[in-house]
Amino acid sequence: MTTPATSQRRPQAPIAPEIPERIQRVGKALVAPLASVLFAFAVGAIIILFSGGNPIEAYQGLFCGGLGVFCTGDTYGSVAAPYRISETLVFTTPLILTGFSVAIAFRAGLFNIGGEGQLIMGAISSAVVGIHFATWPGWLLLPATLLAGILGGAVWGGIVGVLKAYTGAHEVVTTIMLNYVAIFFLQYLVTGGPLQLPGQTQVSPPIGVGANLPKLFPQAAQVFGLPGSVYRVHTGIFIALICAGIFYFLLMRTTLGYEIRAVGQSQRAARYAGVSAQRTIVKTMLIAGAFAGLAGAIQTTGIYHNLPIGYQNDTTGFDAIGVALLGQNSAIGVILSAILFAALHVGSSVMQSNAGVPASLVAMLQGLILFSIAANFLRSMKLRLPALRQAPVGTAPLPPGVAAIETEMDSSAELDTDVKA
Amino acid sequence: MSRMRMRWWASAALLLMLVPALAACGSTSGGGTSSVTKKYKVGLVTDTGGLNDQGFNHLAYVGLQKAKTDFGIQADVVESKSDADYVPNLTTYATGGYDLVIAVGFLMQTAVGSVATSFPNIHFAIIDGAGTDANGNDLHLSNVQSLLFREQDAGALVGVIAGVLEKDGASPKKSGIISAVGGVSIPPVNHYIAGYKWAATMEDPNIKVLIGYSNKFDDPTPCRNLANSQIDQGADIVFQVAGGCGIGALTAAATRGVYGIGVDTDQKAAASTVIASALKRVEVATYDAIQAVVQNKFQGGVTTFSLQNDGVGYAPGNITLPADVMAELTKISGEIKSGQLTPPADIPNP
Repeated sequence: MTTPATSQRRPQAPIAPEIPERIQRVGKALVAPLASVLFAFAVGAIIILFSGGNPIEAYQGLFCGGLGVFCTGDTYGSVAAPYRISETLVFTTPLILTGFSVAIAFRAGLFNIGGEGQLIMGAISSAVVGIHFATWPGWLLLPATLLAGILGGAVWGGIVGVLKAYTGAHEVVTTIMLNYVAIFFLQYLVTGGPLQLPGQTQVSPPIGVGANLPKLFPQAAQVFGLPGSVYRVHTGIFIALICAGIFYFLLMRTTLGYEIRAVGQSQRAARYAGVSAQRTIVKTMLIAGAFAGLAGAIQTTGIYHNLPIGYQNDTTGFDAIGVALLGQNSAIGVILSAILFAALHVGSSVMQSNAGVPASLVAMLQGLILFSIAANFLRSMKLRLPALRQAPVGTAPLPPGVAAIETEMDSSAELDTDVKA
Repeated sequence: MSRMRMRWWASAALLLMLVPALAACGSTSGGGTSSVTKKYKVGLVTDTGGLNDQGFNHLAYVGLQKAKTDFGIQADVVESKSDADYVPNLTTYATGGYDLVIAVGFLMQTAVGSVATSFPNIHFAIIDGAGTDANGNDLHLSNVQSLLFREQDAGALVGVIAGVLEKDGASPKKSGIISAVGGVSIPPVNHYIAGYKWAATMEDPNIKVLIGYSNKFDDPTPCRNLANSQIDQGADIVFQVAGGCGIGALTAAATRGVYGIGVDTDQKAAASTVIASALKRVEVATYDAIQAVVQNKFQGGVTTFSLQNDGVGYAPGNITLPADVMAELTKISGEIKSGQLTPPADIPNP
């Protein structure tokens, strides 16, 4: 989120040596997310205390259950650390990809709440191909299945882009509505519809074995003292990391990426510079949908190996909003916050079962993290305390940069600010 | 969005998130009490309905708590937030060396199948299902106990009530038409409806039974609509077999002045015209499964809970039933228990 502001400010900044500025920028980018995570854990601790729990034991459970560290004592001594890490990676993979879906839309000034719907359409499309062509050899079936997921998600995101660009329909409304359409379509398919496995409960037949993403550990052997089949972590994590490279390269090193960022900062200025805002919005939403669709395809090929009704309770596409915001819409940031969110999710079950602290605590922590990012406590502290204001954090006067951050979330408000500025 | 509004929105969202978190605080368990002999560890994994579903997850928890008090076991619970959590939650207990891992609900069949295959030395029990492969075939694992219910027995009891009321002309509209609102057409739902239709037809051969499915288990709206359309067709007793969705059918029945029948748990609190509820005693099944493990009598395979072993039954509602209904109910109930009558598992035609 700070990057557009920084780049806007850069021309005014005094010429400084290259490396210190870089370090300073990285440091500054880390301060707000870290502070919001600390804030969330601090408030969470108070709430655990008030509800009669032990915050240290609860947080130990989150870390042990999510990252496999601090697994000691009577409560957590028996937890299998390698298995926990494997599970965290399983949940990290779709969060990274949907995180990019939300992040790239943010960069173009669009609020993509439709990651979930795009993920579900990706899961459906990939399952259809995986089931229908189940007899194809793996080298053909797996790529076809993943590609189907990418296309399914891209179409779902593209609809939003076209509506936004050519009719002005607000993407927040259309993405939320399309989430419902995707969920109901899924329900139709596996509840007496064409994809339901006969005689079973709301689930499709399995996809072809060739479409299964390879697992990282041998399934037959003993791995870290447990049967290898226990470890679900699969090669999808590498696909997600490759996508991180694509995301960075696309955004920072291509013309399209430049156009996306330009439209995100000011549609008027972009148009003045000869960039078609409409076409850029459509392309952005196509790419955003493709990322989320790939997440769905990876869940199909890596985890479920079929199409379950359970996606109606899935929250990956919504958690992705938090991942993107906490990760400040950057490649590395999204990866790191996806790991954090996944570890919290996976750790919560250990915390609940071993320490008796409700797993819902994690939903609260995620909410608090978002809350403190949205409320931007740090900035208001800076503005209130003169000592902090004079600290060498900003190289340029704050107001224009602040204004840019302020309005980045909402493109209609941004136009107004641009006029005033 | 202005700054003020955004902050308001954020704090409202935070508040909304706090409420269920705090409400859930009271309902989970920590460690157990001390015991002299070996301390058994039992882990319960709920499906995505969570502990406060007022349905089978809640009942399983009730059974677990009773077992904890009676046997001094360590009783742990984890709620699944999505389908992707079933395998890791079951595995968490399996790797923790638990003596029994209980999965609540047929949605976990495949997960139980795969985790139980990886941990042949850990005992599993699953409510309403079996350990299956991806195609839904029972793997017949020796370490998995299937806790199944003869829902048709419970359905038959409420069917007797409906049938006698219609035969006597004691139903609200004396129409001779009753109905069932099913969730999804799956075995446990159809068992209930089969017993209901079978018993009602036995009591009143001229009765007409309308059957519909909402294709939902959670959202009350489709069940309300379905119940209303059945009432439009003359139904004056509505049996809901759709979990939380069916609550909508019960309220629709009350609004239209016809009778409703609840399912799974005692649902007389849901609407004023509920005359009875068909019960599935998941708490009994959970307790029995734990007891078997504590007494070292665990056995894989199917354990069926029926009227005979009090695994299913019925609960009275808000309206006192006529004496002849109660007499017939006692008679039929006795005949089902003794095996003289066997309600069918499949919905009879026509």
